[in-house]
Amino acid sequence: MSTHNVPETFSIPVGPLHVALEEPMYFKIDVQGETVSHVDINAGHAHRGIEYLTTKRSMYQNVVLTERICSLCSNSHPQTFAMAAEKIAGIEVPERGIYLRTVADEMKRITSHLFNVALLVHLVGYETYFMHMMQVREIGQDMLESIFGNRQDIGAMCIGGVRYDLDDKSIAYIKGALAKIEVEVQDFIKTFKTNGAILRRTKGVGVLTHADAITCGVVGPVARASGVDYDVRREAPYAAYDRLPLVVHGATDGDVWSRAMVRLEEILTSIDLLRVCLRDLPGGPVNINDRPDIPPGQAVTRSEAPRGEVIYYLRTNDTPQPERVKWRVPTFMNWDGLRFMLQDAKVADIAMIVNSIDPCLSCTER
Amino acid sequence: MSRLPQDLEARLAAAAPAGVEFSAETDSYGVTVAWCGLAAAADLSPVAALLKDLGARLSMITCTMPSAPEEEEEDEDDDDSEDGEEKAEAAPKETPKSFGGTPLDGTSYEIDYHFDIAGDALTVIAYVPQGGGIPSLTPLFRNADWHEREMMELYAVAVTGHPDPRRLFLDASVDGAVLERLVPFSTLVNAASTKGLWERLLAGKKGAA
Repeated sequence: MSTHNVPETFSIPVGPLHVALEEPMYFKIDVQGETVSHVDINAGHAHRGIEYLTTKRSMYQNVVLTERICSLCSNSHPQTFAMAAEKIAGIEVPERGIYLRTVADEMKRITSHLFNVALLVHLVGYETYFMHMMQVREIGQDMLESIFGNRQDIGAMCIGGVRYDLDDKSIAYIKGALAKIEVEVQDFIKTFKTNGAILRRTKGVGVLTHADAITCGVVGPVARASGVDYDVRREAPYAAYDRLPLVVHGATDGDVWSRAMVRLEEILTSIDLLRVCLRDLPGGPVNINDRPDIPPGQAVTRSEAPRGEVIYYLRTNDTPQPERVKWRVPTFMNWDGLRFMLQDAKVADIAMIVNSIDPCLSCTER
Repeated sequence: MSRLPQDLEARLAAAAPAGVEFSAETDSYGVTVAWCGLAAAADLSPVAALLKDLGARLSMITCTMPSAPEEEEEDEDDDDSEDGEEKAEAAPKETPKSFGGTPLDGTSYEIDYHFDIAGDALTVIAYVPQGGGIPSLTPLFRNADWHEREMMELYAVAVTGHPDPRRLFLDASVDGAVLERLVPFSTLVNAASTKGLWERLLAGKKGAA
């Protein structure tokens, strides 16, 4: 049709620094008109060599270092690392410590999910609602700051238990904050089901089919929204998850909307789990109050971070430093899913689809 | 109760004719963690094909260089083969060997493939001597791609048959095998330091070795 000698296919860069991208990832995108025809992902903009550093630090220093791998799942890293050390050394975490680990985990999950879904609304262009959601998230952030003294790196974990305790006053405060968040999140779910702007931008957009989800090995809410019924908290329980009424949420459409809905529903489940934990919180010590040497050995441990399965491999030797620490974060697996989600997507939806995997680059590249 | 197939050890042994070293442990939550050492790295592909058939999900790949044992003391490495008599009889400088006979002198690689089977964990371990290679699992497990590309830039291990062996995180201008070299901390964090300090440190490092 075109009489001009203009190519129909262009190659456009998205990132690593881009107004709508939250993470410094470079996408080389071939477009045909407004439609994405091919995606190439180029990583390496936040590589810090933390894996190398772990072998220069003692086991106990590494609890601090691993917390700094990521900010939104900062609790999952030291927890999974500590679980590996405890497995090698045969350390039994006291019952109260086990419950408090779960409490810290679920509080972080609530604020992490709220952050991601709020950003989605921002990318949809519904700025007032974005600010409202971030305001609700502040209730959770205030909760973290009040209990742990910090908003992101909460420093709750140690090898052999946790480093914080709750009393009646703080438990009452958490329950109050949860009640406020719960009402708002129920409202978010209603909005997501009815609001035209959100539905039009997110329904049927960025689809990852069930088969592709299996092939890519994606994890977490990204997998569950594509019908992969897998949650480490249920499949390979740790902490107190084997005795909690955990509901695993899923969807089958695999689109941006489904991923957001899974996260919103998981916030409500986290609130339920927190209430049960606070009700059943056993007495006794919160940790083993000791720093034993970790003997030579190796262990593989997993946990469900807000974004999905975190897996740690730890090998220790006779020295205080580990011989090798290796971990894989959920986002490391989920980037690949983007190649399928972005295929045939509109250029205007790219940033939103990227956001829908809740990407974390500092985790991915370490 | 383990969710791994009852006959998993037998099926792994059938897929790996050179031999396997299998162990499994179930924790108080009922989660099983199994380990399967391969005598020959070439058996990795058939074992991976078997696991694919079993519906396993590749969760992570870890490459390590098991350190050489210190000469004075009997260093019992966990992944060592259990034939202790060979070690006791041998001269003090005899290098310990992995299951399958790869020398563990600090230059060999151990590559661990961590799989998930219905919630239980299985780690398949392959040993590769310095200068050796390992077949790529990417044609079988698409998500092995990034793991293998990362492994190739961190270590000098060759992954054969990888469809896209580009650098993953490190720029092409950075020398390879970064985890096999001493990288000064100031280089790592791109900080400046005086030359004299590093000359002293490196001289001290040589003296200690």
